[in-house]
Amino acid sequence: MSKTLSASLEDYLEAIFHISAQKQAARPKDISKRLKVNNSSVTGALKLLAGKGLVNYAPYEIVTLTGKGKTLAEDIVRRHETLRDFFEKVLAVSHEDAEEAACKMEHVVSREVLENLIQFTEFVETCPRGGSKWVSGFRYHCDAGGEHADCEQCITLCLEDFKQANAGDKTGEAVSLHELNPGQKGKVIKLRAKGEARKRIAEMGLTRGALVEVERVAPLGDPLEVKVKGYHLSLRKEEADTIDVERI
Amino acid sequence: MKASIKVALAGNPNSGKTTIFNSLTGARQHVGNYPGVTVEKKEGTCRHGDVQIQVVDLPGTYSLSAYSIEELVARDFIVEEKPDVVVDIIDASNLERNLYLAVQIMELGVPLVLAFNMSDTAKARGYEFDLETLSELLSAPIVTTVGNKGEGITELLDAIVSAAAKQDTWQSAKIVYGKEVEEELAKLAPLVARETAAAEKYGLRWLTVKLLENDQSLLEMVSSPELLAAVEASSKHLQGIFGDPPEIVITDRRYGFISGACTETVRSTVEARHTMSDKIDTVVTNRLLGLPIFFAMMYLVFQLTFTIGDPFMGWIEQIFGWLGGIIEGFWPAGSESALKSLLVDGIIGGVGGVIVFLPNILLLFMAIAILEDSGYMARAAFIMDHLMHKIGLHGKSFIPLVIGFGCTIPAIMATRTLESRRDRLTTMLVAPLMSCGARLPIYALIIPAFFPQQWHAPMLWIIYLIGIILAIVCAKLLRATLFKGESTPFVMELPPYRVPTLRGIVIHMWDRGWMYLKKAGTIILGISILLWAMTTYPKKEVFARDYPAEIAQLQAAYPKDTGVKNAEALQAKIMNLQQAQRAEELTYSIAGRIGHGLEPLLKPMGFDWRVGTALIGAFAAKEVFVAQMGIVFSVGEADAESEVLRDRLRENYTPLAAFCIMIFCLISTPCMATIAVTRRESNSWGWALFQLGGLTALAYVLTVFVYQAGSLLSIGTG
Repeated sequence: MSKTLSASLEDYLEAIFHISAQKQAARPKDISKRLKVNNSSVTGALKLLAGKGLVNYAPYEIVTLTGKGKTLAEDIVRRHETLRDFFEKVLAVSHEDAEEAACKMEHVVSREVLENLIQFTEFVETCPRGGSKWVSGFRYHCDAGGEHADCEQCITLCLEDFKQANAGDKTGEAVSLHELNPGQKGKVIKLRAKGEARKRIAEMGLTRGALVEVERVAPLGDPLEVKVKGYHLSLRKEEADTIDVERI
Repeated sequence: MKASIKVALAGNPNSGKTTIFNSLTGARQHVGNYPGVTVEKKEGTCRHGDVQIQVVDLPGTYSLSAYSIEELVARDFIVEEKPDVVVDIIDASNLERNLYLAVQIMELGVPLVLAFNMSDTAKARGYEFDLETLSELLSAPIVTTVGNKGEGITELLDAIVSAAAKQDTWQSAKIVYGKEVEEELAKLAPLVARETAAAEKYGLRWLTVKLLENDQSLLEMVSSPELLAAVEASSKHLQGIFGDPPEIVITDRRYGFISGACTETVRSTVEARHTMSDKIDTVVTNRLLGLPIFFAMMYLVFQLTFTIGDPFMGWIEQIFGWLGGIIEGFWPAGSESALKSLLVDGIIGGVGGVIVFLPNILLLFMAIAILEDSGYMARAAFIMDHLMHKIGLHGKSFIPLVIGFGCTIPAIMATRTLESRRDRLTTMLVAPLMSCGARLPIYALIIPAFFPQQWHAPMLWIIYLIGIILAIVCAKLLRATLFKGESTPFVMELPPYRVPTLRGIVIHMWDRGWMYLKKAGTIILGISILLWAMTTYPKKEVFARDYPAEIAQLQAAYPKDTGVKNAEALQAKIMNLQQAQRAEELTYSIAGRIGHGLEPLLKPMGFDWRVGTALIGAFAAKEVFVAQMGIVFSVGEADAESEVLRDRLRENYTPLAAFCIMIFCLISTPCMATIAVTRRESNSWGWALFQLGGLTALAYVLTVFVYQAGSLLSIGTG
């Protein structure tokens, strides 16, 4: 669909979308002002758009987007924003430059490129190995002219942040006892095992509210040794997995 | 006051219960079994003043639910046998969890005395108890004891006697389970009273609580559909309120009661974060050191058992040889007598064959007692569980399997520590594949006969390794087929390390040794006599050669005055003739005939009728194989070191066939006693016969395969 629309018509559609979002409806005057073009150009463009069934337009009346027009406009806006965010957040380009470049590129970028760019931006933001620090590292790299920072330390910091963030995320949430590392403590919230196994676990003192500390993991990686009610108990990981605790 | 009272000792595992039992009863104890089950029952007596006290040691349990046979036995004993007093031995340094059992005994309404054992350890850890208040809260007298030093035993006896005197008016503390649960209990109680006959015996409240706790063994007793439906409805109702089933809520509440009582009465003065035990654990269960230490321990146990045991075995053999000689002396030399043969070959040989392993058994159980009492055994299970779990077993299975290297009989008895029947049976069935000590003489005879010096040790390792690998494969196979299903939870206490007491070790050794003699002794004696008969009868009257005539001829041909050399040669020739006669007799006997009859079956394994006949003898005890081979090869009395026998073996078998003999002895049917013990421990002839048939079939198939493959590739055939 976008291929059937010229770059300038897309710009009009985008402008109408933004003005409508602010003022409910767009007047041709607002459009000419926003796009810095004269009124007659606006009238011509609106007629073309109306012909394609994208806007509702009659002379001297307000302009609204049709359903089809709105979908198309949203798509253009999304492309614009994605590109702008990428330039600004990932490539560390200034806001103005990013806007300008996005305005120009949004009309020619293919859907596939765009989709991958969106995913990449998202990935950079959420992947523990990327994230804001990584981007600022890139900024530093740009500013400092390609000097290498201490990579090992950076990775260590990243890992710690990741662990902390993960722990932080789950505060108050149920974590299984299995997920606690040696030295970490928790408070039993719920036993999810079934039947006899659950009863045995409870009878050994892992009742609701009991404090439990993971002491160590056996040399072969399983079972775990935990401390509860002042004594030591060993549990297989599969059993520890059925015990929900709250991190302390 | 009664002149004699009955006391039951209850307590958690590792609470020092056995030590207290030993202190109370001394040597006056008797080990038996609870009727119908395979849980060991220890009884003893003692006197306190004018009162005769009968003490029963209940199995160590954490609770009185029907989770394991032990718990069921302990509970049934208290309910059925109605002891005058129950003494709960409590590890004072681990109070809360230990009180969980006490609370349940309390609920049964029997007079209860609490023995706060290891009070010295508790003190050292910085605990201070307000015993008076705690005793009031729990409505039970509390006595502090130090079991391994015998402190507080007199006070404990005083408390027992006075509690017994008050039993008619005994009032136990009541645990309130909270409004919602109590409402359901009140609703169910009249129904329970009306619909079950057992309410009086168990106590109405206790029974109602247990039914609500979904206690399977008690629910099975209930026949009234109305009551079952009511229990189900109450259970659903409570599940709706708490989000957990009633048994979990009730457990929570019991622990709640305990922790309430403890906050009021227990003060911890020292921050006891890292005890000595924790420090040991950081080394012993360390990621890197854990396994090497474990294997070093196992090696030590093995060395202790076999290196130190060997000279004792030698002496026992000598004593029995001497005894046989004396008895033989009652008959004129060279005379034939069925009674003499029965006494010397059947009975003395049989009893000797049993007792000869006693030193090994005693030393092995000494090592095990040390490992168990010190607390290392739990760590061994902790370290090995991952591996054992992979082959479908439990960390605790490792212990019986290690014992299996000493003797299969105690190994099978040691499977009692396993809580689930599936784990127990699997361990029991594969335990015979751990090459036991009785098979060692066979290897000891064969390996030096066929393999060069530098191969002796590796060969022995290979044999043992084959057994281990087969055990793993079989365990996996059993778990995948017959014993499918979830494995039991590995919820195991890691008790604090303790210094084992000499007394505890000695008593443990004595118990096990005696059990071995009784169990194995009686069976092996019986089978020895049977096998003696099989190898002796029917008597051959007509021989291929006229041996007495030939001997007389020889004697006539050698004049008496031709010197020492000739006389020796004469003797040797006479002996040859006698042994040939003996061999001929054996061939004629039932065993020989069976051996001959089996020859077509034995051929594919590279065996002849002689091996077959010896294998029949080996059914009594594997080591009998050696002596039997001695007889069939007419070399007289043979043992594992007999060079004459080795020569004869070399003349008759290829190294491949010899290897096959060892393989077959390793895998095949364990001795008669093993089958009998399996029958007893599994409570079914079915499993015992399955073990017998399964192992024999496995041995046959594998040995045939090895022999045929070896022959084809010409390995060890020269």
